[in-house]
Amino acid sequence: MKSVFEGLREKFPDSIKKFLWESGEEVHLLVTKDSIVQIAAFLIRTLRMRFLFLFAANNTEEKEPFQIRYVFSFQNHARFLILEIRLGSSDMTFPSLTPFLPQANWQEREIEDLFGIRAEGHPAPKRLVLHEDWPKGVFPLRKEFALQAQVPRVKGEYPFDPVMGEGVFEIPVGPVHAGIIEPGHFRFSSAGESILKLEIRHFYTHKGIEKLGEGKAPSELLCLAERISGDNSLAHAASFVQAIEALSGTSVPERAKYLRVIFLELERLYNHVSDIAGIALDAGFGFGSSQLMRLKERFLVLNERLSGTRLARSVIVAGGVKRDLTEAQRAFLLKEIRSIKNDFDTTIQLLWQVSSLCDRIDLTGAIKPEIAEALGGVGPIARASGIDRDLRRDHPYAAYEHLLFLVPVFSEGDVESRMKVKIQEVFESFKLIDEALGMLPEGPVSVLLARLPHSRGALGYVESPRGECFHWLETDAQGKISRWKIQSPSFSNWPLIEYAVLENIVPDFPLINKSLNLSYAGNDR
Amino acid sequence: MKTFYIWLAQWLLLILLAPLITWWMRKIKAAFENRVGPNPFQVYCDLLKLFRKEMVISKTSSWIFHAAPYVLFGAILFATTLIPVIGSGSLLGFVGDAILFVYLLGLGRFFMSLAALDTGTTFGGMGASREMSLSSLAEPALLLSFFALGYRAHNLSLQGIMSQFALESPIQVLFFTSFAFGALLIITFVETGRIPVDNPATHLELTMIHEAMALEYSGRYLALLEWGHQIKQIIFLALLANLFFPWGLEPSPNLFGIAGSFLFFMLKIFFLALVIGWIEAHTAKLRLFRVPDLLAIAFVLAALSLLGQLIIGR
Repeated sequence: MKSVFEGLREKFPDSIKKFLWESGEEVHLLVTKDSIVQIAAFLIRTLRMRFLFLFAANNTEEKEPFQIRYVFSFQNHARFLILEIRLGSSDMTFPSLTPFLPQANWQEREIEDLFGIRAEGHPAPKRLVLHEDWPKGVFPLRKEFALQAQVPRVKGEYPFDPVMGEGVFEIPVGPVHAGIIEPGHFRFSSAGESILKLEIRHFYTHKGIEKLGEGKAPSELLCLAERISGDNSLAHAASFVQAIEALSGTSVPERAKYLRVIFLELERLYNHVSDIAGIALDAGFGFGSSQLMRLKERFLVLNERLSGTRLARSVIVAGGVKRDLTEAQRAFLLKEIRSIKNDFDTTIQLLWQVSSLCDRIDLTGAIKPEIAEALGGVGPIARASGIDRDLRRDHPYAAYEHLLFLVPVFSEGDVESRMKVKIQEVFESFKLIDEALGMLPEGPVSVLLARLPHSRGALGYVESPRGECFHWLETDAQGKISRWKIQSPSFSNWPLIEYAVLENIVPDFPLINKSLNLSYAGNDR
Repeated sequence: MKTFYIWLAQWLLLILLAPLITWWMRKIKAAFENRVGPNPFQVYCDLLKLFRKEMVISKTSSWIFHAAPYVLFGAILFATTLIPVIGSGSLLGFVGDAILFVYLLGLGRFFMSLAALDTGTTFGGMGASREMSLSSLAEPALLLSFFALGYRAHNLSLQGIMSQFALESPIQVLFFTSFAFGALLIITFVETGRIPVDNPATHLELTMIHEAMALEYSGRYLALLEWGHQIKQIIFLALLANLFFPWGLEPSPNLFGIAGSFLFFMLKIFFLALVIGWIEAHTAKLRLFRVPDLLAIAFVLAALSLLGQLIIGR
């Protein structure tokens, strides 16, 4: 893959400073700070590469202690190009990509909040992660900030963008909601029942998980990774261990890869079934919802029978999986999967016969494909808006490259499309488990993890039920983790909701929100 | 004097049995959703619990907030006295007719909406605005269906209509009033805040109509509101039962006759509640902007009932 480096060097002779390293699926290049916008534009517009995300790191061992990395994915092969820029402590700014790449908006604001590096040219550099009660000039992800540091609360006010006009009023919703859900603030500006604008304010549950990772050994963090977002436990765990495995160069036994597929698909199954149940419930169709929740419970019980915990926690470990499936468990799984599939099929056919439900979900909360593309939507939400993108197929991990499955894509972008995508994916997941069980190779299920190299980083990625979930791990000179970046699908998708509600009415918001079903914990970290 | 006691008893029964109907509807819903559902005393216990709880009241609220639960509950109690249940008469049936009944409910609603606005919360305001816009459509349809029935019975008082219909043959009554029945059934969904119009079980503030107005209430006031709502529900069921199936209303004045008539009445309203529960279980909630269409249907049905009689004759 040196050719990319050479190609780019020809195009931008002064900007590409160095070929850093190449490992696994990643190519790392060092570029100059000032040229990053041009290079990104060239990669995206001319080479049709996809921008995934960007993140910063503070490495005090270097002469230039701050690094910002931009992750791109190649158009036609399953590899990532990671551009790195370095910043000295005297010049704490970097050029903003947001003006031409709106999906960088939140990411750049997060860097501003947590590292104190300013994105120059950012159109709306408001606070994002840290709220107004956090004092200015304190940046938690810098190395100089001690984990246990006590931070005084200060007074401040968050400026919401006002909407002016006769009869326009604001509806503040949250952060405390009437149901048992996580905290998040939604500020609607509406005229009558029509929503003119929605501004979301999250990060009430920011726990500094990335900071907690600093200086730890990987084994200490797996448990934490599983708890980033409860219903996506396995996806985060898998993403995390794959990053460790890529970093240490450990190759996982084949059997473990297939077992991982089985458990990851089981997680997708219960999530999607639960999401569809949620859509039915929020549309006021309790019957459909309770039938689907019954199926979800069967999946959770199945998980418990196979792994000992209902959310299948601690199944995936660095180097493989914790336990093999016994013959009896495999037979039970196969039988149960087939039985639930028939049950699910019947329930879904019933749902489509309820015309009042179909009327509620049709055309509601439509996200236009160009919006989903510009804001970097991922997962089922992007696939419902016509964006054909799935890490399992495009950047296969575990055993997905050996398995045959379809990636459903719908183009309307409304609640109905999202529901259809999830329904299709449920059927594909049934197929995948069936297939993986049939092809399960013999052999060990785990190997010992090789030692972590020093001062290196690697990416782990999983198509979680909510979409692309990335974990970046970087070690310092002692081989301890110096930076743990979690790019959760909810973080990518939350900004979409501000556009999904436009041209809709206030009482349809809960339904739209449920059809997106984004995680607050995963977003806030 | 004896009839007075019967009327008093039927009035008390409606008030006391109202929570039982709520239980029955929950039970039906639970049966459709593979759940066991609550026991019959649960709704009573909930009310009792609320009556004993401390109230948390917003500092910005005025006397309207304190008065509204009493006005609403009082208005509904008064409306209840207008409805014959087992006898052909009712406690205060002589003081007013269907129009009084409609506007007693209107009075309660008016105060409820004011109280919802009073605390100045967004959800209260939203609920009030929704309630008002929907009831401005429901009220004409409700009045018109009473007019259609009253036209046939030459009488606009509820007890007059019922006793007139009770004398006629069933086919004749249902032929002309079936449209009005449809209208009144739709209005029952709106007035009692049930799916497909409103969802009484939801926690989603943004979709609420009736619940949004009661969000700021707690303790005793909330108990009054809930109980009032339950009584309203049983009133509408009693109206549906006795206006359209008015048989068995005139009991012989002995204990057996009264008990039989009462049992028959209970049977009727439990069956109607079953029908409503069945409809609820088989539909999703309508989009808010589709509810006016539903109310337009109710209005047209009521108008058809009246016009049909005008054209074909009573």
